[in-house]
Amino acid sequence: MKKILIVDDEEVIRMLYGEELEDDGYDVVTTGTGQGLTELIGKEKPNLIILDIKMAEHNGLDLLQDIRKEFYNIPVILCSAYSSYKGDLKSIAADYYVVKSADLTELKQKIKMALEGHAPFESTPE
Amino acid sequence: MLTELNPSQITAAEVIVGIPSYNEAEVISYPTQRASEGLVKYFGEKNSVIINCDNNSPDGTRDAFMNTPTEVPKIYLSTPPGVRGKGNNFKNLFKKSCELGAEAVIVLDADLKSITPRWVKNLGEPLFQDFGFVAPLYVRHKYDGTITNNIAYPMTRSIYGRRVRQPIGGDFGFSGELAEIYLRHEDWTPEVAEFGIDIWMTTMAICHDIPICQSFMGRPKIHKPKDPGASLGPMFLQVVGTIFDMMIKRVDFWQEVRWSKPTAIFGFGLGEMEMPPPVEVDIKRLYNKFQDGFDRWGAVWKTILSPNVYKKLSEVRTLNFAKFELPANLWADILNDWAVAYKNRAHEREKILESLIPLYYGRTCSFVVAVEPLNIQQAEEVIEDQCIVFERSKHSLLTRWVE
Repeated sequence: MKKILIVDDEEVIRMLYGEELEDDGYDVVTTGTGQGLTELIGKEKPNLIILDIKMAEHNGLDLLQDIRKEFYNIPVILCSAYSSYKGDLKSIAADYYVVKSADLTELKQKIKMALEGHAPFESTPE
Repeated sequence: MLTELNPSQITAAEVIVGIPSYNEAEVISYPTQRASEGLVKYFGEKNSVIINCDNNSPDGTRDAFMNTPTEVPKIYLSTPPGVRGKGNNFKNLFKKSCELGAEAVIVLDADLKSITPRWVKNLGEPLFQDFGFVAPLYVRHKYDGTITNNIAYPMTRSIYGRRVRQPIGGDFGFSGELAEIYLRHEDWTPEVAEFGIDIWMTTMAICHDIPICQSFMGRPKIHKPKDPGASLGPMFLQVVGTIFDMMIKRVDFWQEVRWSKPTAIFGFGLGEMEMPPPVEVDIKRLYNKFQDGFDRWGAVWKTILSPNVYKKLSEVRTLNFAKFELPANLWADILNDWAVAYKNRAHEREKILESLIPLYYGRTCSFVVAVEPLNIQQAEEVIEDQCIVFERSKHSLLTRWVE
């Protein structure tokens, strides 16, 4: 079972995303802070990270650079209520950028793509 | 036989800045001086050297380089008379890097006008932080680098699965270990020996799973940009030919790649972004060259393209200038069909590459029109959307490739 780590300071988001992704068969771990994030990643060994950008105490784009330094290949999806951060150069270190929505279709599609990274083509992708 | 001038008798260097050249006497002093300043300021505790890898330029490049006042010692290497090619210059650089035991090799274009000493830091420092290949990230005018934007970047990304925005940027860094890997590989083609070398190096780094970093240069690349329709030169054939050749040789690697992944980023936050100078494009000329291509190459295109792709292309041909569009999904299909035709030798390979040129002009025309009202960031999103199209077409490419 693939494990997803959700990093978001909003509890509602952590709960909503966590429940939906668990329903889809993922093992989900959440945290509301970027404090000790790389240690948490080392401990939990997630297959993918969903990372908020605008958090009260941390900037997700800076956390992303820390993640990349230690975990070069781990898939990271930036998930923000704001599309404007796409223009920040630091965001290109993420696998994908998804604008937050109650409809998780796009997020789930990007999770699937990020986890598939290296995989044989079994069927025509969407 | 190699010509070497090494007046300081350097026998070891931890950091090298290499500047490949042919007939760059007028401009080479500038990057040479900046390189020296960068090495002193940011790598002062390490032994370093600046190496000009030249093609025996008749215009005095050697003297211009050697006479440039620098604190860092210099070495001049040249291919023998009559031997040209950027790739051949790089081969000399690889050999010298291994001989000197270099840990980090930074390469700069000889015609670079916008380089600052900090470029040396940003291209070199990641090599001391476990990265083996450093590609540049710089702001370029949305009309500059059309081969990169419409061919090299989307293809490298979709085929090999790593997002290197400037795979043929011309300014980059590689580790001493990677230099050894480059030297070990004997799959040099005449194209790699010339302008195909940049894409060959980037592709080899990806295929050897070398940790790659993209480093933000802060300033735009200011060199000698050209109207893409004015003079394509041999670079197009050599770059695209090398891309197709590498696809044949590295199929075991790329057939396992489904979606692309990002790299690490280095060197951001260097202050306000300076805008690049404008690039003028004659869009009508691009359109006309596309249309003329049908007359000259239409029969060849029909043998290369899948029937449905040729049909769509024929529809595009009927569009007048005001309504012209060669969309990204059609362009991805065209390049995929071209790669397959190249592999299968549907025609002589040089003919296959040459016949692609009018279609490249058509795509460039369409791209320039699409991004004309956009700012640089918005144009980047158009390029990003095109890359996703290429990635989604990978399955179709692979199906045709193994038929």
